[in-house]
Amino acid sequence: MDFFIRHKTIITFIAFTLFCIISLSIKSSSFTFTIEGIGNAFTVPFQKAYHGMQGGFSKLWKGYTELSGVKKELRATRKRLQKYESLTEEISELKIENRRLRRLLGLKERIQYDSIPAAIISKDPDNWFKTLIIDKGENDGIKVNMPVLAYQGGYKAVVGKIAEVRNSISRIVPIISPEMKLGVMFQETRIPGLLHGLSSTSNLCVIEYVSRSSIIKYGTVVITSGQGGVFPSGLLVGKVLKSDVLKSQAYQRIIIKPALDYSSIEEVFVVKKEPNTDLLNIFEGDK
Amino acid sequence: MTFAHIYTGILIIISIVIQGHSSFDVLRIAGVKPDILFIVVIYLAYNFGSFYGEVTGFISGIIHDSVSNSPLGLLTFPKMALGFIAGMFGRSVLKSNIITIILLIFSASIIKGVFVLLLSYIFHQPAISSSLNVILPEAFYNAFLAPSLFFIFDKIYHDELMREGSM
Repeated sequence: MDFFIRHKTIITFIAFTLFCIISLSIKSSSFTFTIEGIGNAFTVPFQKAYHGMQGGFSKLWKGYTELSGVKKELRATRKRLQKYESLTEEISELKIENRRLRRLLGLKERIQYDSIPAAIISKDPDNWFKTLIIDKGENDGIKVNMPVLAYQGGYKAVVGKIAEVRNSISRIVPIISPEMKLGVMFQETRIPGLLHGLSSTSNLCVIEYVSRSSIIKYGTVVITSGQGGVFPSGLLVGKVLKSDVLKSQAYQRIIIKPALDYSSIEEVFVVKKEPNTDLLNIFEGDK
Repeated sequence: MTFAHIYTGILIIISIVIQGHSSFDVLRIAGVKPDILFIVVIYLAYNFGSFYGEVTGFISGIIHDSVSNSPLGLLTFPKMALGFIAGMFGRSVLKSNIITIILLIFSASIIKGVFVLLLSYIFHQPAISSSLNVILPEAFYNAFLAPSLFFIFDKIYHDELMREGSM
């Protein structure tokens, strides 16, 4: 016993090192998930409380500072509303026509999905990873691989997908994360490609596997292709920033600026779409 | 050391909550944010020795791993190991002044980054790719913030440091 007390520093160091090595070796086991769950359960109440407090103060401050601009904004909103009201009839007419034409061509009807609104309570505290944590989890019907969208500046665009679900919180891997893979295509030309985050410290994305001969213009809109089994097709992803064509490579590398500003997203919508497991297994392999 | 334990617990929780909150993104420079939790660990190791440093590093690393998307152990081991190493170069060896603190935090941050990279290569963690884009800017950022944080922590742990005879 005396030996242990005298050498407690080195014994503790060896024990902790062994724990880390074993834990990293069996990273997908329920053992590590339980310890991570305990760690999460310990920090989540503080995160939620801080988020609530910060949100309350921020709303109070906004209510005070934005009061002067409300009148001007109201006028502009009324004008915009009139414009949109006139568009509604036109859109419903187009929808009916689109449905009729799809039926005539034998195409599948687009499915409408419900969504679960959620607030971002935390971001990854480390520089190596880029995940977001939301305040909704398994109890609210969220499942792994559900797509996540957000509205910003009048646009609805892709945020990422659910990577991990616990009882009352979930983790999102955003499209700007290098570990995220997303099937996309260019809206005009319908040329497909594979999108992922540029790096751990950048807010841009890259599209790979686009043929060198394809002409990709600056500002071209990028949307989801629907391949991969996770995201529905046609969702806005971003716009083309630049294209690198290297003589030595068969494909060009296209840099994309996402439609959403990830540093200012506060609310997201988790789309209640279960992934196509067959397609997912093909693309991501059986896990 | 009872009060020191309570202060340490509070510091770890505050650091992880602040570091993970969206508003902390405003502090990003060159895409990176400082690792306050790591500075706390090094401060405690530097002042209270290897044992205190490695235990604090291990506990804060477990919490960091559980909040982050990393596998359990990837961020725990570097914090624990650096807590152990920094404890050996405590105040008794390195005199506390701004240059010492900056050099200590800068070199510790670099070693931490190297440990994370090594572990990710050994255990096939695919997410970690751009090493220099993260390690160097984070080390500079940590070193820049460290003197002011050490000054604040000195005030918090004033009584404990007096008792230990470190001040």
